Amino acid sequence: MAKYFDMLMEDVRFREGLNSCMNCGVCTGVCPAAEFYNYDPRQIVSIVQTRDEEAIERLLKGDTIWYCGECMSCRPRCPRGNTPGYVIQALRTLSQKLGFFAESEKGRQQLALKRIIGDNILRTGYCIVPRLVKPDLHPEQGTVWKWIFDHDKDIFPQFTPVYMRHGAGALRRLDEESLGEIDRIFEVSGGKAMFESIERHSDRKARELGYEEGADQRYMMDVFLNNSNEHY
Amino acid sequence: MKRNSWKEYQKQIADDRYYYARSCIRQNFFPGSEKAFIDILQNDLGRDLLDDPKHSSCTGIGYHSDIVPLETIMTVVARQFALMTEAGYENFVASCITSFGVYSEILATWEEFPETEERTRENLLKATGREFRKPASLAHTSDVMFHFREEIARKAKHKLVNALTGEPLHVVEHIGCHYAKIFPKSGIGGSEFPYVLAGMIESWGGQCVDYPERRHCCGFGFRNYLVQANRGYSIANSHKKLESMAPYKPDFIVANCPGCAMFLDKWQYAIAEMEGTTYGENGHGIPVLTYEEMAGLVLGYDPWVLGMQMHQVDVEPLLDKMGIDYDPAAKYLGRNGKYIGKPASAVVNGCPPDTLYDMRE
Amino acid sequence: MKKVIIIGGGAAGMQTALRLAERGIEALILEKEAEAGGKLRGWHALFPTFTPAEEVLTELRRRIEEKKIEIRTRSEVRSLTPKSVTLADGQRLDCDAVVLASGFTLFDAAIKEEYGYGLYDNVFTSADIERMLNEGRVARADGSAPRRIALLHCVGSRDEKVCQQHCSRVCCITGVKQAMELKQRFPEADIFNFYMDIRMFGPGYEEMYREAQQKCNVHFVRGRISEAAPTLDGRIQIKAEDTLTGRPLRMSVDMLILLVGMRANDDSAALAESAGLQRSPSGFMAPRDHFLHNVESNVEGIFYAGTVTAPKNIGETLNEAIAAADAAADYLNE
Repeated sequence: MAKYFDMLMEDVRFREGLNSCMNCGVCTGVCPAAEFYNYDPRQIVSIVQTRDEEAIERLLKGDTIWYCGECMSCRPRCPRGNTPGYVIQALRTLSQKLGFFAESEKGRQQLALKRIIGDNILRTGYCIVPRLVKPDLHPEQGTVWKWIFDHDKDIFPQFTPVYMRHGAGALRRLDEESLGEIDRIFEVSGGKAMFESIERHSDRKARELGYEEGADQRYMMDVFLNNSNEHY
Repeated sequence: MKRNSWKEYQKQIADDRYYYARSCIRQNFFPGSEKAFIDILQNDLGRDLLDDPKHSSCTGIGYHSDIVPLETIMTVVARQFALMTEAGYENFVASCITSFGVYSEILATWEEFPETEERTRENLLKATGREFRKPASLAHTSDVMFHFREEIARKAKHKLVNALTGEPLHVVEHIGCHYAKIFPKSGIGGSEFPYVLAGMIESWGGQCVDYPERRHCCGFGFRNYLVQANRGYSIANSHKKLESMAPYKPDFIVANCPGCAMFLDKWQYAIAEMEGTTYGENGHGIPVLTYEEMAGLVLGYDPWVLGMQMHQVDVEPLLDKMGIDYDPAAKYLGRNGKYIGKPASAVVNGCPPDTLYDMRE
Repeated sequence: MKKVIIIGGGAAGMQTALRLAERGIEALILEKEAEAGGKLRGWHALFPTFTPAEEVLTELRRRIEEKKIEIRTRSEVRSLTPKSVTLADGQRLDCDAVVLASGFTLFDAAIKEEYGYGLYDNVFTSADIERMLNEGRVARADGSAPRRIALLHCVGSRDEKVCQQHCSRVCCITGVKQAMELKQRFPEADIFNFYMDIRMFGPGYEEMYREAQQKCNVHFVRGRISEAAPTLDGRIQIKAEDTLTGRPLRMSVDMLILLVGMRANDDSAALAESAGLQRSPSGFMAPRDHFLHNVESNVEGIFYAGTVTAPKNIGETLNEAIAAADAAADYLNE
């Protein structure tokens, strides 16, 4: 069985993101996630560079690596040229490949992301479309958004000639051929394999946790909504 | 605000013949801005810009949520470049900042790790039969607008000036993290004192505000917003910025990233509903604009044609300050002037808390 | 009589000339600036003993005069060979050997844009503080006394982002020294030194660090400041991580002092090229080796003294100058 560190080294972002850390802390000093969560990007890089397999496994299975917001504020300042954000991306990718993401509360949320964003990409060619931003799941979008959502067919066409139809313009329906190309791209490049891994491991974990139907809608909503409030 | 280093970070921005790639967020929340960008470039500035219906999302939101693998996004991006090549263009311009970051990163990764480029070409050919050429230039749409700021200034109908007092408006310019934090050299002005929005603001008569949390991320955080359980992170970061900028009494905020503009607008709503706090004048929020809207207002476009009625924080206080004429009755009309009601009131627009929109319902 | 040209009239250059005189060799010092003395002119009190820099400088000058050693000021060197030196004005001077003692260039803190040096009030460099101490008055931009001061170690050193990967050695002890000097002038002030490592390499340095903590209550925070921003009330907000507790911190200070490092002399690249001299990756001149030939260059007849090869303190510079003079003298006597 290959070592985690070696697997991480296969990811170019890891190679780009980790030279050597001297624990100066400039990354954590400006990290938004460090201000909000019990999170410290310096510690993550420091742990990973020890190449301690057990410690890396704990990272892959824990909540910690899921706190980062991938803003890359850590990147411009590092005096050793590291990018903790890239290390996080590599850890998250590996965690999903190995199924370890399902062992943590934040990691389990990847299923929600796959089903909301991922499936939407394959369905529409875009990450987000207006109908996806339902006001009851997004109350913070406000009263104006609710009004827009309720009257979308009377509002959006003011700004685009092709609302949900084919042709050039905002919020168009992507043509079938292009959607087919996107679909095949996901097939050929490992995108669908990643989606499938997320589903498979989520289903396994759901059953382990007592969801008899596996990773069903109820499980997905639970991982989408549940916060143990132990992340600070 | 003081700065002295932006001249070191010059980047070449193409002058014409752009291939335009739309933004997921901008399309959804600021469709008027995307339309305005195209209209301004084609009509006001007489430039050639292609809005190709075949392009897709770069899938950056999926990538930064870590559900789309690196290899996949590289291939999607390659397809975008192939479409650009097929259409006969070589200047790529992205509407989204995350996209801009993704395109920049991928081009740099292909340079640094050529095996990834080879793999991408194989994947693209296999999946779509397409081949691609890398763009001769890559810019964000705000770079292009910056590039034309003097031309726009010459055609300006309104300046970023308080019409009553003649004082320059105080503007908070917010730069999306992925614009210059990934490759400081790829952002005008670098990562510490980005100049892309400041240049526009200053050319059009306004004045930038420096405040302690100027460089702080707005808090989108991808998974930290998209998953409801994590949303506290997102609002907390915007909250921090708003608290920091409020004492400087900015007249408006402008952002080049569509996500940032959306969050700084919407989180003011949520904070006002939760705590009753508003950050602007007279119990209102601070209006948040996209730079396309800012340019559009300067050029004399009607605010509702620009789509500014889609903002949660009312923009009228700013429009009044600038002396811009608008029809309040037309604000919430639908297509063809159809009456479609109006949004429920919100604390952030100066309403008392007992007209609270109950979020729990 | 054999003649050696010394490029640089700072501590290294003067001490080299004095030793050469003892060895019966004529020395000519070429100094770029209007007066000799080098960086020593800008310092206030020298660590670890707080000896006034002026004392050392005055004594060196006195000895130079006593030995009647010639110093030509405003004489910038454009190129050199072991047997001749050409000035910027085109003049060529012949000699039998050359000692390069041109010193270092101070890192320009404005390059670290995130600290706002030159933009925000109340951000100073260590060199600014030395100057203010010499002028007899350290104060904030508005003239008031600071009540909270932050000193930041490693500005322009150990930093890939500004292409200065080396450690400048003496900034740590400078930071400790200045913290103590400021505490003396502002006894009520809270002083914080932000560091990655505290490099107390010289005699009495570690003891001084301890004294700074124990007697002066200077606070040492292990974390490099990430950014500085101006606040509405004219203070500076800094962000860092306290890496020993693993928590990010943010505080407003009245004064931020950047301990700027030494970088390779701006002139070194051109001089090196003109004479075929090797430089290390840091840009400093590379001695023939670091052991038995550490004051010789890779070109026979050209020697090095002082910080032109690497950051060092004044005591080390003065010692090295003697070694360089002896090496040159031995070379000439062969």
